[in-house]
Amino acid sequence: MARIIPLIFISVILFALFKKVNVYEGFTKGIGEAARFVFSLLPCLCAVFMMCELFEQSHISDKLTELLSPVFGALGIPRELTKLVLIKPFSGSGSLAYLTDIIETYGADSYIARCACVCYGSSETVFYISAVYFAGLKVKRLHYPVFCAIAASLISTVVACLICKTL
Amino acid sequence: MNAIFTGIFLLSAAILCFIAPDAFLTSLLDGAQNAAKTAFMLFGVYAVWMGLSAVAEKSGLSRGAAKLLAPLTKKCFKSDDEEANGYVAMNLACNLLGLGGAATPYAVKAVKLFDRDKNSFAQKLLFVINATSVQILPATVIALRAGYHSANPADIFLPSLICTAVSTAAGILLFLAGRPWRE
Repeated sequence: MARIIPLIFISVILFALFKKVNVYEGFTKGIGEAARFVFSLLPCLCAVFMMCELFEQSHISDKLTELLSPVFGALGIPRELTKLVLIKPFSGSGSLAYLTDIIETYGADSYIARCACVCYGSSETVFYISAVYFAGLKVKRLHYPVFCAIAASLISTVVACLICKTL
Repeated sequence: MNAIFTGIFLLSAAILCFIAPDAFLTSLLDGAQNAAKTAFMLFGVYAVWMGLSAVAEKSGLSRGAAKLLAPLTKKCFKSDDEEANGYVAMNLACNLLGLGGAATPYAVKAVKLFDRDKNSFAQKLLFVINATSVQILPATVIALRAGYHSANPADIFLPSLICTAVSTAAGILLFLAGRPWRE
């Protein structure tokens, strides 16, 4: 399974060579886009991180986690993941910070960290996406699609915690 | 996002004002510094994947994938707008390859075109698909696990694949099931 990633790189580059594309130029162009993308992300990233830090330091997050973890526990979601599941729909960068924190605390190969990785990988920043996609458009009745996306994420989180026990 | 940010900020600031006024400014500074650190880390991850995706795009590999998916998009999104369908195909192709960052611009373009066609079904369906994550290769997470010395960073591949399929299927089913009563 670990061979998948190098194999993807090799096949894409071989195909590019076959098509006589300048691989180095293409790669650097992509990295340039990455730099601009990250830079454009920085203001949001910074504001959200400040908010998360305040959220944490004022112990609101602990109270909320305490309040909701029995509910999540009943669904089979470990309490360590409550915060990650709560923040993911709002902020990719915020949840990435929690994910990094979880991996650091419990170790990359622990059940909690693997669960967190699968949950993170199989859900999206629903509210952020709805803001980006529909910015400036007058689309009516967006509540239902947003609800569908959130409900689906919760279902897949429950499934993730189940299958990480065996796989 | 505005309401959430303002609400949490004010509430946290008010609580900190009582329990630990000194922690307020340090929290903000810590947050900003963490953001800078994360941005560097993210740059590393995106540099790798967007570099590769640029090569795939230049060689026509991405366009080929889009062509392959075109008949499917036409049927599923009830759209005859070829330009918009092309963007949808590119968006799905990038998503499947785990290039979420590359996928977003295509989706935004497609949603704008669907708006012109007054095809709100396609807009919402594309949103649900994207908002439930359709990636085959969770590249960011695998890179992150490798960074933290996992014995086998890619061993979450199969669970992730199952979960991403479950979430997208559940999202689409819910969306389609609820539609007759909503529209």
